[in-house]
Amino acid sequence: MNFFDRFFERRSRDLAHRTSRRGMLTRFGALLVGGAAVPLLPVARAQSDQPAQPVDEGDSTSCDYWRYCAIDGFLCSCCGGTVNTCPPGTEMSPITWIGTCENPGDGRKYVISYNDCCGKSSCGACLCMRDEGDRPPYRADKTNDVNWCLGTKSATYHCSTAIVLGVAFDR
Amino acid sequence: MSRLLLLPALFAASSSIAEINPDRAQFHYRMHCQGCHMPDGSGASDVPQMKGQIGKFLRTQEGREYLVRVPGSALSALEDDELAELLNWILREMGETSLPDSYNRYTSAEVGKFRQRPLNEVEAHREKLVTDIEHLTESP
Repeated sequence: MNFFDRFFERRSRDLAHRTSRRGMLTRFGALLVGGAAVPLLPVARAQSDQPAQPVDEGDSTSCDYWRYCAIDGFLCSCCGGTVNTCPPGTEMSPITWIGTCENPGDGRKYVISYNDCCGKSSCGACLCMRDEGDRPPYRADKTNDVNWCLGTKSATYHCSTAIVLGVAFDR
Repeated sequence: MSRLLLLPALFAASSSIAEINPDRAQFHYRMHCQGCHMPDGSGASDVPQMKGQIGKFLRTQEGREYLVRVPGSALSALEDDELAELLNWILREMGETSLPDSYNRYTSAEVGKFRQRPLNEVEAHREKLVTDIEHLTESP
């Protein structure tokens, strides 16, 4: 047996004495789990594209809820969905009416997207018509008296959501 | 001495035209464009895609004017300087590889001029422009 063989055999046996295969697996497992947790740290979260979330107080099944300042329709919150999501069996329209509402919780204005949910007949519950910022039809992008079920498989209107897109720019 | 004093003033004037306030521009994008063009400019159904496409229109003068003359721009409730800023922001954020190697940003003065002639037949005009630009790209 030459020198190299003896040298590596001795090193290998030393290593086997000092460590265990389970220990190695434990450390490797810890590395995997720890690595997966890194994106949850505040630094990574701060860099995500999530919009600034407001202090959100109030009853989202009531027309008085702050996000509904410009709504004209049935609240999805009363129809099996939420203020952000459509009820099952309906499709959210990608094309949408956008306005701003002031949040009494923090006194700031937010950009709100009133995405309609489409594909089932009108929900019929919680009809709200606050219409603040609504403009006549000659301002087509700022009128809410039209059916905004555009770009969906079905143009049948069911209810409206009110999704926060971000903080309004303060002039 | 007076000439030397003028130089910084000139720089200030020119930079104030081209400066983009990203928060304001994004707010105007959300309020006036996003409802149809989507948050990233990818468009939807019959709404044209701006993402990775819009820069093509800067290759011709007619195309440059088109981006201001489309109803969504020309008839918007934005002031000329706000519209110029918004268009420059959209180009920067969504133009991607469609942008020419170099281009001039919109000024409020040219936006004010182009939007005086809003388009009626938008789709036909757009098709013609796209064809013209494609021929431009194909020619050596």
